[in-house]
Amino acid sequence: MSAAAVALDRQIRPVYDALDTGSNKSAIVTCNKLLKKYPRHELIKALKALALVRSQKIEESLVLCEEVLELKPTSDATLTAMMHVLRGLGRHKDMVKMFEEAYKQQPHNEELGIQNFFANVRASQWKSAQLVATRMHKQFQDDRYLYWTVISTVLQAEEHGTPLQLRELLYKLAHRLVVSSPTPSYVNSERFHLHLSILLKLDLIDDAHKLLDSPVGRNICATNLSCNELRREVWKLKGLIQEEGDSAKGLILDKDDRNWLEFLSVLDATFADLADKGTDPSEEALDVTRARIRDTEQLFLKVVEKDGLRDRTGLLSLLELEKRSRAHGLSSDENRLITLLQEYLEKFSHKPSCHQDLLSYTQLKGDELQKWKTILDSFSFSFSTEDELARVINLLKLQRHNLLPSEITHDAETARAALYTEKYLQGLKFGATLPSTELQPADDLALLAATSYVSLWKLTTDDGYLYSAVALLEYALIKSKQSYSAKLMLVRLYRLLGAPAQALEHYRALRVKQVQNETLSYFILSRTSMFSSAAIGDLTFASECLEANQIYLTNSQETGDFIIRAFSAEKYSQIPEFVTFEDRLENSLQRDLIKIEHLRMRLAHENIISDIVDLELIELKFIFDRVHHDNRDTNVLPSYQPRSSPDFNTQTLLFDIYEGHGFLRTFLKLYIRCLQQGSDLDDTVEEKLLIGDRPKKRPDVPGDLSLRDRLCERSEEDLKELTQDEVSLVEFAGALGDWLEKYHDYARPHPSAVLAEASKQTELKTGHPLKGLEIPVSNGNGHKKDEEVPAFVEPPELIVRYFDEMKTKFNELKDASSPVEALHVAAIVQEAFLILVVESLRFKNQTVVKQNKLGNLAASIKSIRTNAIANLKEISVGLIKRSESECTAESRKAFVEECSMVIDAGIDHDFVLGVAKKGLDARKKVLEGFGKGIARICTNYTTN
Amino acid sequence: MSVLRPFKATDMFKFNNINLDIWTETYGIGFYLSYLSRWPDLCCVQESPNGQMMGYVLGKAEGAGIEWHGHVTAITVAPEYRRLGLARKMMNLLELVSDELYKGFFVDLYVRCANKVAVEMYEGMGYSVYRRVREYYGSLGNGRGGRDDEDAFDMRKPLSRDPNRISVRPNGRDVIVSAQDVS
Repeated sequence: MSAAAVALDRQIRPVYDALDTGSNKSAIVTCNKLLKKYPRHELIKALKALALVRSQKIEESLVLCEEVLELKPTSDATLTAMMHVLRGLGRHKDMVKMFEEAYKQQPHNEELGIQNFFANVRASQWKSAQLVATRMHKQFQDDRYLYWTVISTVLQAEEHGTPLQLRELLYKLAHRLVVSSPTPSYVNSERFHLHLSILLKLDLIDDAHKLLDSPVGRNICATNLSCNELRREVWKLKGLIQEEGDSAKGLILDKDDRNWLEFLSVLDATFADLADKGTDPSEEALDVTRARIRDTEQLFLKVVEKDGLRDRTGLLSLLELEKRSRAHGLSSDENRLITLLQEYLEKFSHKPSCHQDLLSYTQLKGDELQKWKTILDSFSFSFSTEDELARVINLLKLQRHNLLPSEITHDAETARAALYTEKYLQGLKFGATLPSTELQPADDLALLAATSYVSLWKLTTDDGYLYSAVALLEYALIKSKQSYSAKLMLVRLYRLLGAPAQALEHYRALRVKQVQNETLSYFILSRTSMFSSAAIGDLTFASECLEANQIYLTNSQETGDFIIRAFSAEKYSQIPEFVTFEDRLENSLQRDLIKIEHLRMRLAHENIISDIVDLELIELKFIFDRVHHDNRDTNVLPSYQPRSSPDFNTQTLLFDIYEGHGFLRTFLKLYIRCLQQGSDLDDTVEEKLLIGDRPKKRPDVPGDLSLRDRLCERSEEDLKELTQDEVSLVEFAGALGDWLEKYHDYARPHPSAVLAEASKQTELKTGHPLKGLEIPVSNGNGHKKDEEVPAFVEPPELIVRYFDEMKTKFNELKDASSPVEALHVAAIVQEAFLILVVESLRFKNQTVVKQNKLGNLAASIKSIRTNAIANLKEISVGLIKRSESECTAESRKAFVEECSMVIDAGIDHDFVLGVAKKGLDARKKVLEGFGKGIARICTNYTTN
Repeated sequence: MSVLRPFKATDMFKFNNINLDIWTETYGIGFYLSYLSRWPDLCCVQESPNGQMMGYVLGKAEGAGIEWHGHVTAITVAPEYRRLGLARKMMNLLELVSDELYKGFFVDLYVRCANKVAVEMYEGMGYSVYRRVREYYGSLGNGRGGRDDEDAFDMRKPLSRDPNRISVRPNGRDVIVSAQDVS
């Protein structure tokens, strides 16, 4: 390095230091100084662009970014800096181009080849990745690049929307490449895994078997669970069920392997001759199977004998054997199942998992069910040790599981709730001295009692039972501070009761972090806008949305890096898994449900102006064509409800609806159409102004259907995920859109005018007009002069009457026991009004109205708005009035009285009073906040 | 009745029933992905036949020379599946892979000194205390367990490559090092 270069290097170092410590401003200042001296220096420009991106000065950064890209950099430092710039701008495709150019200029530079490959990986461009890797393999002769080609080909095949035929071709290509490798795949277990998975995709089972049945294949499978998983599949597909069974027997007997998969292999082998369900088995096959059943039973009995109480697998495998024997009509003893169940209870009912273990063997009916119930009853339900307590809990759960609908009556459930509560309180003694970080052994009894109360609520619709459940669970949380089950149940119940602040408190106590936000945030964020006082500036739930959203940003920033790491370390088994993981988060249903909730709150909170309309429109359009994945965890909530009844999760859904794809689609369509009408950005403008990559086109959307048509499509199936009031909102927005569409289209400024304005703004900010923008000559004031002004049409009845009708509905509901329904209606009316605001934004502008001769329309809209505001004001008053009746001494007393069962059981009256106070106060606050919010919106838009 | 299978990236969508427990930390996604991108064969899950996760282990291979070993970074079992020997089964796999595939000299793990149940369980599996690491779990102040809550035992079990058991010592509990010395 020359002396000058060393000096420059020393001068640039402070820029890196500033960037590392987040002092972007100082980085920019230093870069500016250096650029005076070295005005054409690409690295300094790239670093300045990076500092600008990080300071959110996007337009200024773009100018520099373009300049550097034009220089086609090849130096590692510049490329790295630019990589960060382009990532910050969401321009992965440009990153690919940049590295492509660099590699083209220095085709012997292996590192640039690798970077070019990785840029494609980051952008999920598997086809180009495959081409780059092929080139690199030819040039550098490293087997690693051959395998990169192979996995890129596989990923291309597995991409959403790859046609079946092409998929097969790609797998064949991948296969050809693997076998062309000079070193066999088995030298590395990960390459071996990739090879096997391709063979499986191509149904080349014999080839796969041959590889696996070799000494080296067996060796790999002995220490590699992933390869062994594929091996099991191959053996099954090849019909080697007996061999697999024999080998499993060996593992179970000689190596004490207790992996349930081995037991399943033995069982599969036992019944292998009866596997063909299409035909009746021959007598011979039946005889063979009978003999095998006897052998298998002997094997499992040996396991039972050997393991004793140490391991429950043996006894469970006997149960599974009997279950399967019965399914084939080969059980030799009709009492066998019951006997085994009884034996299991005797041996393992003190294990907390006993209830779960037995569930699939206790789907009994008729006499057998009766026998089972008698056995359960025959056990003692008293306890003097912790193990006995655990046994009682299991017995009660198992009893409950098999309750018939006729046994779930008001009286019987009341008695059960009392029994569970009583046992719970007795059981607390075993945890009296535990540290606060531990769970009480009796916890599940409290959950059982809460479950019973929810049943009673479902039977009677009496909210008093929910109060009791809440009081009891709150008590359980005092005793067992870390019980996440109790917390989750409480989140659900408080939402049903219209006490969102309490739900949030418990949700926060779960300390949900990182990826858990994806699977759990729906507990608190589902339909959260109806509980939000965003309109009066309370952004609690809106911030909760932003916090939950972090994981998606982390995913887009980090997961790609780990995919690249997996490539570098050649962990081929992980790459498709990581890609799936990234995709499931990137295109998460919950992510976009949160987005919709956040938008609903934002519109209530902020003054609606065209900037918001434009920004939200662009974001929603990006989301619209995603193929969404639902990763929400619905299994985490315990359910001890009888199998004849819906589970706890289903029972406690707000409005009995689990919103999913249909809900999201409907609201996306609603808002995109509404925002699009309110916005000046048409597709051509958007195309020119938008920075960053566009979402990939979905191959399954018919090309002849315009976005507008798709937005107007109505799916009855999707609407099932909406409440009746939400459906009314959809109808309102649809009618409004249909009515105003032609006026919007007429009055919207010409794209050239919008672009010219954008360019002007950019120039003001950065000193440069927008690059690459050829603004067509504008034809005067923007609107299409040749067209006639659309004739004024009266608004549809649905729109005119909507607000009156919804207010009437609100009045009918406002005094109901739970305020949730009324609150929901209020939220929907508010939302309808905000939609009206968005749709009528353009026609508030007097110049636009005059220029386009839309006076009649503006007057008509005004009268609808005036009427809407009058109705909203009444609703606001209604909510505030209702809030005043919550959390009074009287209402608290009523709450406590409803909890008499809990208090009679021994839970302190004052404790329950405290629960009542907090719960009712939360209710009061939400009603008051929402009521005031509506009032504020009314004031805001009366004058505005 | 548990299926032993590899830990997959998408298991992060399923592990709430384990990770909502207070003693199990939920790390950033990068933590899990970095283990899976390097030592996928040392990360596994125990799952119930109906697909519910019961527990998991994350491990790695590290060290130089005779210190080359398998390390248990995290091992956890959901509360309702404890006392069923699941941890032992997962440890068996990790030891097997560390021994036969990575050819490590030993497997080691860190455990809170206060966690007597766990220490005894590991002793039952053939582990012994190699040293006590001061404030490994951060200085918690005057917690319930005092120093035993902050300090960790570094426990080791020799593998077949260490037939002379040079990776362990009998008086490990008396050998005290600071957290900086081990990380």
